[in-house]
Amino acid sequence: MNELTGPLLAVLAALAIYFLFRPGRGWLERWRRRLRLSDRVLSEDALKHLYHCEYEQRVATVQSLSGALGTPVEKVAGLVQRIEAGELATSEGASLRLTPKGREYALRIIRAHRLWERYLSEETGLKEPDWHKRAEQQEHRLTSSEADALAARMGNPPFDPHGDPIPTQRGQLPPRRGQPLTSLAVGERARIAHLEDEPEAVYAQLVAEGLHPLMAVQLTHVSAERICFRAEGEEHVLAPIVAANVAVVPLPREQPVEESLETLAVLEPGQEATVVGLSPNCRGLERRRLMDLGLLPGTVVAAEMRSPVGDPTAFRIRGALIALRGEQAANIRIGSRRQVA
Amino acid sequence: MSPANSREEVLEAAANLRWEVGPDLHDSLMEALYTDAARISDRVLSRDDARPAFDLDRTIDRLVTSRWLGFPIMMLLMAVVLWVTITGANVPSSLLSSLFLETLHPALKQAAAAAGLAWWLDGLLIDGMFLAVAWVVSVMLPPMAIFFPLFTLLEDFGYLPRVAFNLDRWFKMAGAHGKQALTMAMGYGCNAAGVVATRVIDSPRERLIATLTNNFSLCNGRWPTQILIATIFIGSLAPPALAGLVSAGSVMAVVLLGVGGTFLVSWGLSRTLLKGEASAFSLELPPYRPPRILQTIYTSLIDRTLIVLWRAVVFSVPAGAAIWLVSNTHVGGASLAEHLIQGMNPFGLLIGLNGVILLAYIIAIPANEIVIPTVLMLTVVSAGLPGVGEGAGVMFELDSASATLGVLEADGWTLLTGINLMLFSLLHNPCSTTLYTIWKETGSVKWTAASALLPVAMGFVVCFCVAQAFRWLGG
Repeated sequence: MNELTGPLLAVLAALAIYFLFRPGRGWLERWRRRLRLSDRVLSEDALKHLYHCEYEQRVATVQSLSGALGTPVEKVAGLVQRIEAGELATSEGASLRLTPKGREYALRIIRAHRLWERYLSEETGLKEPDWHKRAEQQEHRLTSSEADALAARMGNPPFDPHGDPIPTQRGQLPPRRGQPLTSLAVGERARIAHLEDEPEAVYAQLVAEGLHPLMAVQLTHVSAERICFRAEGEEHVLAPIVAANVAVVPLPREQPVEESLETLAVLEPGQEATVVGLSPNCRGLERRRLMDLGLLPGTVVAAEMRSPVGDPTAFRIRGALIALRGEQAANIRIGSRRQVA
Repeated sequence: MSPANSREEVLEAAANLRWEVGPDLHDSLMEALYTDAARISDRVLSRDDARPAFDLDRTIDRLVTSRWLGFPIMMLLMAVVLWVTITGANVPSSLLSSLFLETLHPALKQAAAAAGLAWWLDGLLIDGMFLAVAWVVSVMLPPMAIFFPLFTLLEDFGYLPRVAFNLDRWFKMAGAHGKQALTMAMGYGCNAAGVVATRVIDSPRERLIATLTNNFSLCNGRWPTQILIATIFIGSLAPPALAGLVSAGSVMAVVLLGVGGTFLVSWGLSRTLLKGEASAFSLELPPYRPPRILQTIYTSLIDRTLIVLWRAVVFSVPAGAAIWLVSNTHVGGASLAEHLIQGMNPFGLLIGLNGVILLAYIIAIPANEIVIPTVLMLTVVSAGLPGVGEGAGVMFELDSASATLGVLEADGWTLLTGINLMLFSLLHNPCSTTLYTIWKETGSVKWTAASALLPVAMGFVVCFCVAQAFRWLGG
């Protein structure tokens, strides 16, 4: 063995690792993508697309299918033939329609998808951007009985974390709610009903803005280039094309405007405030923990001291001294601040 | 209307109403429940809300979390605890070791000879099993019996949560919990106890991170290895006046490397393997109270020291037998140990170690305390040094560092072997006691395997890179 063998081995190992795992185009990733694109998965995704079109009263065609699946039209044509042969859909001229059997199938996949998103958001530490991606894979693996067991375990949740209804065991769904944020007039108030999770880049932008279902919003300015609105005390600016992916339900005018615009994160040591509520952004274990600590509407919280490096901050909550990190405190909305006597 | 029909209708109505209640129904219910509970407790409990003029807790808190004094106080306390442990453990350790190794062992050998025990039974029971247990107990027990009560006193007083409060920000950057600082500190005493201590972290993901990385805290079974090797290989490079300082510095460097490894691996784990585990931070800062000294000493001896010691003893009995057997079972003219050492030598030399070290780390898995005695014994076996040690399969230590160096150099050890042994002693699988504890605590074979394989793989990679760099530099 000469002295070059060692470095050479290291370089080879590094190259092998690079080719296997490089993001997006690594062999492992390609292999997994190929598995994912197996025929069954592709036709299930197609049925989902047909169902979404039906729900949103759009017309589904081979072209729209090709766009949604990211697959060339020639390949989609074969796929459509297979679906029609299975009596899951029929074509009328250019448009494609689901048969009752196909609708039932599609709803089963959507149920699995939304249940899994709900599960990921409530019971794991995964963040928003991962939910959809993982549910896209899991929906094809979960059998109906597994989906039912999962739903039962979570107390049959009616909605997924994006605000979308989860089809019931018998495949029922409510009529579509909400209108695009872009349709509101200046000054009008509404509650976010749904954040569309596709395309991914737009959804990531919405998440980065800190938007989430149930948030109350008020439009402040609309122009062709941008849409400005207030939500939980913060000013947001979105491009209309992005804002169109936010569905809202208008709020009645007489309902009092929520005044709580601040969070515990702004409380300086020596100040106290009354808790107004927890942000819907804080879910699952984290939410239960904060509630266990007594952070409920009406609780008075005083900031006592800050760590020498600036974070976390210790709060006096119902007699106990509890340290919370900055991003946790930012999920706790408070009323007006006052100095402790 | 028939009952069956009305039932259908009710269910139908319920199914339709489901969508009306909105996504936050469960939350509103929860909030209402909690609020009711709070209202009831407020009605029946009266609290004294008036603040006293002088609040001792608050004064202490201001001091120990202050920007200027917080960290110096923390380091001072840690240094005092370590110093008391190390100096305090020396005396009982040497007492125990002279009792077990110099009095009891020869006495047992004589008794066995008088009873006419077969040589192999005598070797297996006394030289193998007894010696391993004796070694583990005499090296392990005293530091643990001092360190754990001291640590528990600080915990009981209420100071330790403040340490977590001061350090949390850095642990947060690595995706971990501030309380991991405490489990790391506990790991400097014993990794198995450190793993048990991760129970204080109530968030599942952060607790697993603390469990899987505890091994990067150099436990008291590995300190002696580090100090011995640093003294004979690195300290000897410096002029005699500086030798102590240089070897202490190199041990500190290994400790700091371990701290760096903890943060690096925590960061990596929280973003890869453990990404999906649920996580929720909370840290209660309980009121200070005078420590209950006797109770603390009792519980820390029972809960921490004796449990860990018992596990170590249980594991060292079969290991002692294995150590004796590999050196005394002969296959084709050479002992099993020699075959294994020969077999592992090429790989060992490639990563700058040798077959003896690798075999020692495999058969001395129950406790890091017996790694050096095993290495010395195997070295004598494999190099065939006459007149050194106590015979095949009998672990020993030499009285002077220079004698140890002589034995090791006779087997071809270099500075590189020394450096890499120090690194490998930090970066290898936890001892079987710790692994068993991890398995008990996590209940998962997967996490136990991960915590064993991760550091070994890192150790191999680091040692290999160091060896290549060292050889390339012409060392």
